[in-house]
Formats: sequence, structure tokens, C-alpha cells
Amino acid sequence: MIVTAAICPSPPLLARELTGRAEVLPELRDACAAAVRHLLAAAPDVVAVVGTGQETATWNPDDRLDLSAYAPPVSGAHGKPGLPLALGIGALLLDEAGYTGPRLVQAVDEAAPAAACLRLGRDLAAVAPRVAVLAIGDGSTRRGPAAPGYLDARAVPFDDAVQQAVRDGDMAALAGLDPDLARDLMVTGRAAWQVLAGAFAGARPATEISYAADPFGVAYLVATLT
Amino acid sequence: MDHVAAAPSGAPAAREPGPLRLGRAEFPLEQRLVMAIVNRTPDSFYRPGVTWDEGAALERVHAAVAEGADILDVGGVPAKPGPEVTVAEEIRRVVPFVASVRAAYPDLVISADTWRHEPARAVCEAGADLLNDTWSGWDPKVADVAAQFGAGLVCSHVGTLTPRTRPFRPFFTDVMADVTDRVLGLAERARRAGVDPARIVIDPAHDFGKNTWHSLELTRRLGELTATGWPVLLSASRKDFVGETLGAPVEDRLAGTLAVTAVGAWLGARIFRAHDVRATRQALDMVAAIRGDLPPARAVRGLA
Repeated sequence: MIVTAAICPSPPLLARELTGRAEVLPELRDACAAAVRHLLAAAPDVVAVVGTGQETATWNPDDRLDLSAYAPPVSGAHGKPGLPLALGIGALLLDEAGYTGPRLVQAVDEAAPAAACLRLGRDLAAVAPRVAVLAIGDGSTRRGPAAPGYLDARAVPFDDAVQQAVRDGDMAALAGLDPDLARDLMVTGRAAWQVLAGAFAGARPATEISYAADPFGVAYLVATLT
Repeated sequence: MDHVAAAPSGAPAAREPGPLRLGRAEFPLEQRLVMAIVNRTPDSFYRPGVTWDEGAALERVHAAVAEGADILDVGGVPAKPGPEVTVAEEIRRVVPFVASVRAAYPDLVISADTWRHEPARAVCEAGADLLNDTWSGWDPKVADVAAQFGAGLVCSHVGTLTPRTRPFRPFFTDVMADVTDRVLGLAERARRAGVDPARIVIDPAHDFGKNTWHSLELTRRLGELTATGWPVLLSASRKDFVGETLGAPVEDRLAGTLAVTAVGAWLGARIFRAHDVRATRQALDMVAAIRGDLPPARAVRGLA
């Protein structure tokens, strides 16, 4: 069953090598690191990393993000080509936390309906007596004229609703997020959050949000759920 | 000319590519250095007299360091013909100034632009790290001074010129071959004189004893010079070949200079003598990033 969970965003800039000589958003990096430490402090049997991919599939625990896909001269300190971005960032965060224990690296189809996500979450929670879920994904990318996805007036209310649901431990609200609206708003976290909701299987976790901001027009959320 | 014949002939030696040592510093192969020009002269070709005043010259040093200069090149005699500058006068112009700079910047690499051994000795005593012998070993004792003080030496090419003369109808069967032969010969001579090989730099010396076509050819083929393994100094800042190429007066040669700088950096030159320190630093950092030697200052675009 699920004993603890964390939500982190997935901007490539969390990979230190990709931002050049400057460290970008140190406060976000710190929040992610703290959330992962919190996750590992629960001494899970396995950490299930969940993020969207092109299809629902389990990846090899040894796979990593291919940084060279984002910065060709940056060679693979993180190893082999591979993981979808969200899973790659999750793997990176676990690596940076020094975690070497068992991992279950689970991609979820970015278009998967809510019911499929919830079912997948329930299954993940059942793989071991103590499962920790690291759900990786971002809110809307359309939060303003300077945002990567430009401005959509529905973006801020959507992200606010997600934030409120996490703050309240309201897994039903996460389960109810509209996949079509999320797609329109270029939200990359929706399916992963719904997997997380499924993993909690009706429970109402205590939560703490340590970071919620959109410094580059993309909604980043860092939270722990226990 | 005697001094030309004095250099060893035959096939001059290449050098194993590696770090360049100047003063206490050691610069790796991929680091591109800006050498800021500070002229202690009233009559140099670009902004004559701007650092003739000692106070202005020191201000210039502070600015150059702040703008990213790695090396300072202090000269007391203009390259062009003009009123004689005696040895004593050159020493008076340069040596106290070098001492002041050394006192203010204990670790800054200081180069002295001189071709005579007496001023060379005096600046080394005052703390200079590199002797920029722009007139191609005209005075062989300059190399002896470098050896004696553990200083570096720039080995340059001027064809058949004597110091402070202008080229008159220079021609070469192959200007790059002539340059390579000369500067490597001088490098070998310096090594035999006892100069630390890790402190020897070679300079094709654009414009010196060359017409614009020659300098363009040397720029185009600079890779042949860097392939010798000796660190290459590129001194092109606002020179006549840039001006003639662009039809631009001296105050309008920055863009052309930076183009030469970028091409030279791409082809492996390691030291760039410059009037415009900040612009040169930026051009070199850009080339370094394109080559993959230097990460961007801050990359966020598309990564959020």
C-alpha cells in the first residue's frame, strides 16, 4: 500500500547541466530535493516514479533521461538514452537524493482517461507493503503572454483547482480533472496526478505544499502527501 | 637581413599541444585569452595618446580587468615610423607603469610590447611575465632576457622589415609557409636560449610586413599555424587589413576585428590582442560556447 507520496514538476532546467553556468531556480531545486528526502524518510520498499509518456508502460529502473536530447554537447553523465522527460526528472531527483533502492518507473499515457489512471494507481499501490509514489508533472503552460503556451484564461483557475485539491488532500478532485481541458492547457501532470489519486484509493492524505509558482509561465507544484 | 639569417632554418619543431604558462598562471588548451592593449605612447594608431597619462593608463587597466582581460600588453613605442623613442625613453614610459600595475594586480599577466633587450630586462625586473617581441627577434638578446627571468616570449613574423618601418611591396611565394618557418624558427631559438617552451607563443603578426591580401590569407589558414601546437597570438585589432577589407576608418573597425577574432578562435588561436576588451571577451565566449568548450551563462529558453 501507499505510505507516502511527493509531487514535483518536470522542467528540463532541473537538470543542472542544462542551464549552463548559472543555477536556475535554486528554491525550486531545494523544494524538490526536500520533497524527495521526505519520501525516502518513510523507508519505502519501492519508489514508484510516475510520469506521462506516449504510452502506458513500465521502464527499466536503470534508464535515465537523455540530457543530450536537450543539450547536444552535454554527454550522458546520467547515462543511456531514454526516459520520457517526467520520468527522467524523477529518476534524476532520486539519484540526487542518493537513492539506490528499488524503483518502479511507470509511464502513463498522456491521453489516458481518468478511470485508467486511477486503476493504474491502485495497481501500483499493491506492488509492495510500503510503496512511495513520486508523481512528476506540471500544471498549465498557458498562464500568460510570456508563457511557452501563451495565454489561456482557463489556465490559472485550473492550476488553482489542482493546488487546492492537493492542499486539501482531496484525491477525488484530482480524479475529476478534465483530461481534455488539461490537454488544451498543455498540462503535463494531469495523468500522473490521477494515478496518484488512484494509489491513495479513497484516503485523504495530509499534505504540505512547499512550492507553487510559475516563474517562467508554467505552473510548478511541489508537495508531499502522507 | 642579418637577423633573418640568424634564425635556425630547416624543419622547425612542432610542440605537443598543452597548457600555456604565463606568470604564475597556467592556461589550458581550450581557454581563449584576451590581451588588452595599453599604450604608453602619445601617437599610436588607434585613439592616440588616450593612455599617455599615467592616471588614464591605470584607469584603463582597471577597466580592462573588469571587462575580462586575462593579459595586459603594455607598449611604449608605436609600431609605425615616427619620432625616435630611445631606450631610456621607452623604459621611462613603460617600466614605472608596469611596476604600478604589478603592485595593484599581483596575479595579472603583464606583457611588455618591446623589441629591445634593455627595456625588456627593465620590465622583467618590474614584474612583466611575457615579452611581446613584435619585431620578430630583431634583437636576439630579448630571448635571453626572457630565459633569464623565466618570462614568456612572443615569436612573431615581420618578413624583411626592421622595427618601425612600413611594408613596401612585400611578396611571398607562400606567406603562410614563410610565417610558419620564421615563427617556429624563433621558437626553437628561444627554446635553445633557455626560454620555458610552455611560455613560448607564436604570432603571424597581421599587417607587419604584409599587405591586406597576405593578412587575409593568414587568417584563412590560421589552422595551419595552430596545428603546430604552439599557442598562437592573434593581433588584428582595428588593423589596416581590416580597414582596407571593409573600407572602414580605424574607429569603425570593431565589427571586422571581431569577425577576425571569431574565425581565429574557431581555428584555434589562444591569445587575442585587443583594444576592445569587452566586445572581444564576448566574441570569444560565444565561439567557446559554439565549440562546446564553455556552457552558456544561463540557459532557460525552452527548458522551463
